[in-house]
Amino acid sequence: MFGITRNRLALVLSAALLLGACATGAGNTTTSGATTTAATAPSTTAAPATTAPATTAPAAAEPITLTFWNYWDGKNGEVLNQLAEQYTSEHPGVTIESVFVGWGDLLPKLQTAVAGGDTPDIAAGDLVWMPKLTRTGILVPLDEYIQAAGVDLGDFYPEMLRVGQYQGHTYSLPVSTNNLELFYNKELFSKAGLDPDTPPTSWSELSDMAAQCTDPSSGVSGLELFTEPGEGLTWQFQVYLWQAGGQFLSDDLTKAAFNSPAGEKALNFWVDEIDNGSAPVAPWGQFGQGKACMVMDGSWMVGIWSSDPPFDFGTAQMPYPSNGQPATNMGGEQIFLFPSDAARQQAAFDFVSWLTGTDAQITWDSETGFGPVRKSVAASDAFVSHVRNSEPRMLPFIENQKYAHSRPPIANYPEVSDAFSEQIERALLGESTPQQALAAAEAAVNKLLGGS
Amino acid sequence: MGVFTIYPILYSGYLSLHAWDGLTAAKPFVGFDNYVRLASSGVLGRSIWVTLYYAAGVTVGGLLLGLVAAVLIHWVGRGAAVYRSIYFLPAITATVAVAVVWKLLLDPGSGYVNTVLRSLGIIGPSWLRSPVWAMPAVIVVGVWKRLGFNTVVYLAGLQTIPHSIYEAAEVDGASRWNLFRRISVPMLAPTTLLLAIMSVIDSFMVFDQVFIMTGGGPIGHTEVLGLLLYKLAFRYLDLGGASAVGWVMFALIAGISLVQWRLSGSGSRGVGL
Repeated sequence: MFGITRNRLALVLSAALLLGACATGAGNTTTSGATTTAATAPSTTAAPATTAPATTAPAAAEPITLTFWNYWDGKNGEVLNQLAEQYTSEHPGVTIESVFVGWGDLLPKLQTAVAGGDTPDIAAGDLVWMPKLTRTGILVPLDEYIQAAGVDLGDFYPEMLRVGQYQGHTYSLPVSTNNLELFYNKELFSKAGLDPDTPPTSWSELSDMAAQCTDPSSGVSGLELFTEPGEGLTWQFQVYLWQAGGQFLSDDLTKAAFNSPAGEKALNFWVDEIDNGSAPVAPWGQFGQGKACMVMDGSWMVGIWSSDPPFDFGTAQMPYPSNGQPATNMGGEQIFLFPSDAARQQAAFDFVSWLTGTDAQITWDSETGFGPVRKSVAASDAFVSHVRNSEPRMLPFIENQKYAHSRPPIANYPEVSDAFSEQIERALLGESTPQQALAAAEAAVNKLLGGS
Repeated sequence: MGVFTIYPILYSGYLSLHAWDGLTAAKPFVGFDNYVRLASSGVLGRSIWVTLYYAAGVTVGGLLLGLVAAVLIHWVGRGAAVYRSIYFLPAITATVAVAVVWKLLLDPGSGYVNTVLRSLGIIGPSWLRSPVWAMPAVIVVGVWKRLGFNTVVYLAGLQTIPHSIYEAAEVDGASRWNLFRRISVPMLAPTTLLLAIMSVIDSFMVFDQVFIMTGGGPIGHTEVLGLLLYKLAFRYLDLGGASAVGWVMFALIAGISLVQWRLSGSGSRGVGL
């Protein structure tokens, strides 16, 4: 391998070389292999193209292939490819090339693409990224296209539309959504003497059933809470906070609002479940391994487990406190465009407009298990009866979409979420009281909001 | 080499003095603000401490066990190649796979470790979510992965020690323990130094194993520098801050390597591998 000599410089330099890969953040680029620091400063991003689109959809003079980055794989990827083929058959000359990029790799890959001036035509990404992306100036504003095409924005749920808007402009459209409801393991319910067809409806029932279902001798806990650091914890906890009547941030998004009686009520509920042994502070995934009776999880899990369930499970509206209100957290993807020439941008928008339209959305939601982003889809008898017949476990998610709140659309939301979750973790691990944790989280979040 | 290694290193130094999200065109110069911001918020200090804890655990544990294993294999003699291969396997197994398997083993509900403990009537802790146990668990995996490499290098080192020295000592009536303590250990000092430096450098760059096993939790108890860098660069899109962390890592590794060098005072003795 190598020998040690007096040459210290060689050693230090080799350490530097090893680090170089680390320091430049070439952590996990899976496809391009390029690092996030490219040799050229981004030049294509100076100003978004604002050329007025032609009012008539142009018949593509020459064939166009549009690149579309997204992180839909498995069943979702298959359905997307079918829709893309359908689009091509209806619009000869336009081919949609869907490129799978992992959830964790999409932003780094976009950074690389922007630096290298080689962005895709279209991308779909997590809605929590949008407040950041809309502020960068690298996305194409869609207002004129929307106006020219006569897209009815009123049909989208306003909370989902708001995510992609900044300073009065619309930069992205909702393309898929999901939310969180209760999953419960019917087999463990029966074993514990609970009725597998009667899930809990209130926090007190949730707590009682969790206690009855807990069996330390077989490593089974009654309720799985998300106790790992980061956004997972925050987005789950927010549901309990909203159910108790609380708010995460103030209406004007300038300060924390969770350090309130509602916040205490929610956190006390979590801490009590942990302290009385019903909920473990464990790595996420206990429910899926058949080691937890109940969990709040996303509608996508129905899609994943639908064809080959690990055990007999049911879903229901997430229980809420008797004097509280139903609530869930809205997840999902937004779809957006990157600058290119006028014809390509128009072709790309035409596809986005089609994919987010009612007809394509009904196919998309029916086949994938995503929730409706349009009121017209949720109101479509064809869609609802399809779900009822094919996968009734999706119904609680669709029915409760109307109670979905969205996470605050602030640019540094990931930092805020991490700072919040770290203090909540302290309370869950018994290192601080719920009151102390909320106060500390409030201070940390306010510092981030003041400094952003 | 120049384009893909030297340039990015220098460029990351440039970036660490600027505020940039990797997307916007503007990269305002902010001086040492990225360094100051990370240091004053306490996250950098905590990450350095956590990384040192990990590096110390993996280095000391890995060297001790590696030396013991090498000496045993060396003295057994027969079947050394088989043992060597077995010990070396973890070192060439993909870290991601290793981390996933250990995470499964240590799962409080369905993991094999706690299942065995339960059969003995003991309710085991939630290893990877416990402020006390999470880091030791990660260190155990780090040692397990490093052990084979250390063993093989120590074996090579043992083979360079002339037999005549041992024979002379045995004639003088030295016990096996004294042969090991007074001959093997000091003669292996250069090997130990090499392994210690490599182990510390590798430990400082640990990422995937911690990322999978704990994600940096609980409450940042396992948020090593590599994880902090990743979080800043790819979750917060703070490339300035991430580059600053990279340079702090570089400074620390260079500093620690030089200290190890000085303390050992044996930088002049070559070790052929």
